[in-house]
Amino acid sequence: MSIIKKIVTFKPSFNLRVIVGLISVVGFLAACAITGFSDLTKALGEQDAKYTARAIEAGAKVYFDQCARCHGADGKGIEGQGPALSSVTFLGKKEGKIEVQKSQRLLDIQWVGNLDGYIRAVTASGIPLKSSNQWEVTHPAFGQAYGGNLRDDQINDVSTFILNWSQAPATAGIIDSPKPGAAFTPKATAVPLTPEQEAGKTAFLKNGCNACHAIKGVAQGNIGPNLSTFGTTAATRFTEADYKTSQGKAATADEYIHESIINPQAFVVAKCPQGACPSGVMPPTFGKTIAEGDLKNLVSYLASLK
Amino acid sequence: MAIIGKRLVNQVKTTGFKATVAQRADDVFQRMTTGLSWDDVRGILRGDPPPKPNPRVKPHTESFWFHIRPTFYHEATTTLYPTFRLGLLSALFFAIEIITGIYLMIFYTPSPERAYSSMIDILTNVPFGMFVRDLHRLGAEVMVVVVTLHMMRTFITGSYKKPRQFTWLTGVVLLMMTLGLSFSGYLLPWDQLAFWAVTIGTSMADAAPGVGPTVNLLLRGAPDIGAGGLLRFYLLHVVLLPFIGIVFLAVHYYKVVRWGLSLPPDMEAVGEDSARKVSPDKRVNFLPDIATNEIMYIAIAMAILAISCATWYRAPLETHSNPLVTPNHTVAPWYFYWLQGLLKIPHIIPFLPGDLANGLDKFSANVLGITPKVLWGIVVGPLVFVLLAVVPYIDPNPSRRYGQRKIMLTLGGLFTILILYLSLAGIPTGVPVTGFGFVGGAPPSEIGQEFMPDEGEGELMKIPFDQMIVGDYQVSADPGVADAPELNAIIKTLYYDMQHRMSTADPNGRKLSQDTVATVKIVEIQPDLKQITLDIKYTDDLTGAAQDFTKFKFIHKNSEH
Repeated sequence: MSIIKKIVTFKPSFNLRVIVGLISVVGFLAACAITGFSDLTKALGEQDAKYTARAIEAGAKVYFDQCARCHGADGKGIEGQGPALSSVTFLGKKEGKIEVQKSQRLLDIQWVGNLDGYIRAVTASGIPLKSSNQWEVTHPAFGQAYGGNLRDDQINDVSTFILNWSQAPATAGIIDSPKPGAAFTPKATAVPLTPEQEAGKTAFLKNGCNACHAIKGVAQGNIGPNLSTFGTTAATRFTEADYKTSQGKAATADEYIHESIINPQAFVVAKCPQGACPSGVMPPTFGKTIAEGDLKNLVSYLASLK
Repeated sequence: MAIIGKRLVNQVKTTGFKATVAQRADDVFQRMTTGLSWDDVRGILRGDPPPKPNPRVKPHTESFWFHIRPTFYHEATTTLYPTFRLGLLSALFFAIEIITGIYLMIFYTPSPERAYSSMIDILTNVPFGMFVRDLHRLGAEVMVVVVTLHMMRTFITGSYKKPRQFTWLTGVVLLMMTLGLSFSGYLLPWDQLAFWAVTIGTSMADAAPGVGPTVNLLLRGAPDIGAGGLLRFYLLHVVLLPFIGIVFLAVHYYKVVRWGLSLPPDMEAVGEDSARKVSPDKRVNFLPDIATNEIMYIAIAMAILAISCATWYRAPLETHSNPLVTPNHTVAPWYFYWLQGLLKIPHIIPFLPGDLANGLDKFSANVLGITPKVLWGIVVGPLVFVLLAVVPYIDPNPSRRYGQRKIMLTLGGLFTILILYLSLAGIPTGVPVTGFGFVGGAPPSEIGQEFMPDEGEGELMKIPFDQMIVGDYQVSADPGVADAPELNAIIKTLYYDMQHRMSTADPNGRKLSQDTVATVKIVEIQPDLKQITLDIKYTDDLTGAAQDFTKFKFIHKNSEH
């Protein structure tokens, strides 16, 4: 108690007040001086790097939510959907900080500004026309000002993320932006669908499969696996080791497709558009809700997708 | 010109050059010091005793800044006890907030499009920007503490009693202004922390019966916080609340000087106020004793604040606000935890069975027609301030002596304990041990929150970037990743955390299922950018269904999480 009493009734002498006060003033000024000095030399740069890094992280999130489904998780583009963004053609090439090769895309379309501006402009306002017959869709307008769902800061972040690829742009195995107006050799026309397959396609859309699955030219769902080449996959899937250790019982391609519809839990594939396929998302009730005839047509339609 | 020159020449002629210069210099000096000669100032600086008659009282009658300060204090109020200089420090922090706030205003734009990027600009492009922001934020937090302590001190020493009732009343208004300033400033960075803390705060107002939606609309400018809400909070923060604060501070301070600093309770007769009747031998002059004393405390406080901001303290800035994504475990600012605790009544009352608590909930909602949230958060919450304000008017005891105020001091102690308890119960993790007020979700999502929160720091994000080695790691007691001791250690921590959640139920009685398998997956996305995914496969303890919990984060080399 007496110590507490001593402390609370302590009265610093005049000299002590002056000394402690001066030391404190020096401490305060030193803290300001150190901050000012480090701001002038390196601190602002470090902060800048830190928040650019955080912008890249935030941009990555937006990219994987919105852009990856057409441009690919690795930015190398997806055939028929969207061109590469991580390629030399798009990003140009830098050595250190010096640009040794300009972005071919900007040259092709005669864009006057820089790449950051182009990316932000396209992301926000979209491209009203398809550059070529290679793409199934035009670029949507993602900016809130243009009816999309992304805020300005998200658009800036996603541009920062895309430009981060220019440290090491990809060169091989990519679908680059074509030159404006360049016509692509039309692909061989697909074998026309049989009436049963046509009915299967109708069943596919009628039963809402398109909400989660994509089929090139038919549906855009991005929850479950893309079914554009399901026929090819199904032809070999039932022979694979992974499948044999699962609960699946199919012995032919058609049986496998049939089983995938009525008992989706039997075998869940690994990769979906948004990462690992979650199990239990596809309803197990289609066996009951789709009529027997429709189901048969649907299997035949899906098997035709190669 | 000519006249002045003539006078000067005459003076030099009569008194000599040296004396003229000395006399003129002293003239200017005395005008600046409002009446103190150089010798007087020198005596003050040296700590000499004042000559008689004391010239040092002259500035108190001549200058603005000194006339608002008392000429002398009672000796008994100059030690640390009884004031602890808390009033002075409150005013100091208010001044610091104003000065740093003006600096920040130069670089800040109160619009949703620009606010967050203004913050980034302040941090990355403005010299002293981060420092001043840290000072402003830390100063605000400390100010809440200091103001609260100041009020507690006044309560304990009984200084709110006659004739200082009104001083106390203005003090309660100043406390509310401090909280209001702190809260309105919370929104301005426009990050997730700001947006959701303020959304929670204002939605309390929304729940008030009758006027609630109107008040909410006035505050937010729209049903939700947006451009209107940000601008209104900005105006509250920089115009209205500081204005009210300054007015009440002036009145508060006037009252303090008018009635004098109250003496320690045992020094005066019961019911008497002798602060203004100081016998000459008990007087301590403002110059130099009180002034140097105050300057010392101000210097110490500012040094501690500045050194803290130059070294360890960083004001938080989360990601850009997103009205569509509510981060887990969103909380109001810490000084409103007790309000959040009030909202959880009756579920946080010790020894009250859960069924009875639910019954009370239903009873008040169905029979009284008012939900407990509204009752406690909206009706009782603000009543706390009313209660504080009327304390001096309802306390019938004229004595300030501790021994004669046992009831009031006990009530004050209980009130403090209650506020602390409510604050504890108000945070998402609830009261330790008993778990009252716990609002966690399913165990895997709690693991996700702990190791990889939506905002802020999590264990998995602390792995050094070069140790984030690409691969899939099964969570086990010994993941055995070569060359990555930190990665190893954190996965191990995760493993033991899971084991703990498997063996011990959380306050909601939920356990992690025994068959839970977790993996940590690290993928390189871009140069210097990795994605870290936490995947937990478990059986839900409520439904018995197999579930998969996945959460991922992108980590850049330079982001310093």
